[in-house]
Amino acid sequence: MRRVFALLISLGLILFFVNSLSILPEYGNVELSKVSNAYINKSVNGNNEKVKFGESKDLEDGAANVVTSIVVDYRSFDTLGEVTVLFTSALGVGLILHGFKRKTYGRLPNFILRVSVGILLPLILLFGVYVFVHGHLTPGGGFPGGTIIAAGILLLYLSNEEFDLSKTSKFVESYAGSLYIVVGLVGLAIGGVFLINFLPTGVVGDLFSAGIVPIVYILIGFKVGAELSGVIADLYREG
Amino acid sequence: MITVGYFLIAFGAFFYFLGGLGILRMPDVYNRLQAGTKATTLGSFSVILGVGLVNLDYLPKALVIIAFIALTNPVGSSVLARASYLKGIKPTDKTKVDEYKGGDEK
Repeated sequence: MRRVFALLISLGLILFFVNSLSILPEYGNVELSKVSNAYINKSVNGNNEKVKFGESKDLEDGAANVVTSIVVDYRSFDTLGEVTVLFTSALGVGLILHGFKRKTYGRLPNFILRVSVGILLPLILLFGVYVFVHGHLTPGGGFPGGTIIAAGILLLYLSNEEFDLSKTSKFVESYAGSLYIVVGLVGLAIGGVFLINFLPTGVVGDLFSAGIVPIVYILIGFKVGAELSGVIADLYREG
Repeated sequence: MITVGYFLIAFGAFFYFLGGLGILRMPDVYNRLQAGTKATTLGSFSVILGVGLVNLDYLPKALVIIAFIALTNPVGSSVLARASYLKGIKPTDKTKVDEYKGGDEK
């Protein structure tokens, strides 16, 4: 009976995948509404001209990644709220698990793990930094980049029983969060709107473009990485 | 080149299938771990290299991804196997040699 069910479920999944893949529109041949075109051409207030990668200059928002231009520019206030949600959950974990001693096993961690951490950790941290520095150009950004960095920190926790980062992570987290709000307040002082994109946006596709978007994403990357490292440190304390 | 790429993707998919079959059929944790990581490592290598050959723009990225998988996958499976051994999960009765008896020295 179990096998029949398993077979039915896999058949259903296969049908679902084939169905949803076959109705995908052809690459580059999608009919978009006016609103989505306004966001893609980065001219919500403007005249809706087509954006050319590597050529268009001084748009409302210079991020080549459309998602990033919406998340960190058009609705950056909402992202501030998202960061706060993450902060609250980290706070909750810290509150519940506060006071527990860190678990020790009385034996050295895996030899293979200890050796490979030395090779892997710089690469993982580098990749995380790459993901959030290039958040306005490629898929990714502050949240995935910070999570990748936290995964590297987890590797350190697994391979070294003495390693502790809780103080540093709290420090980095609070400073990154405050700087995000400071960026917003500077926008309020210059442009009259909280979190407005007050820097020049440059050419679409350049590393130094998109105004405050890379700055905010770097701050979010540090904040999310520190927060998730703090959560890992708290969870590792479980008696 | 594109034909070779598609062949490699099909080859990798076949090894993914073998890995899934191994997880279903193997008798204990350690054998399943081996099937789930060894077969899928080769499967991932072939699929990613195949994608790189089909679209040559992706080839450098594909090679880097292959290097990362080669670095991380064995470490992960080794850590899992060691953790389950030290937790006290017994191998099947068919296992004759156990060179890791008692864990490593303190």
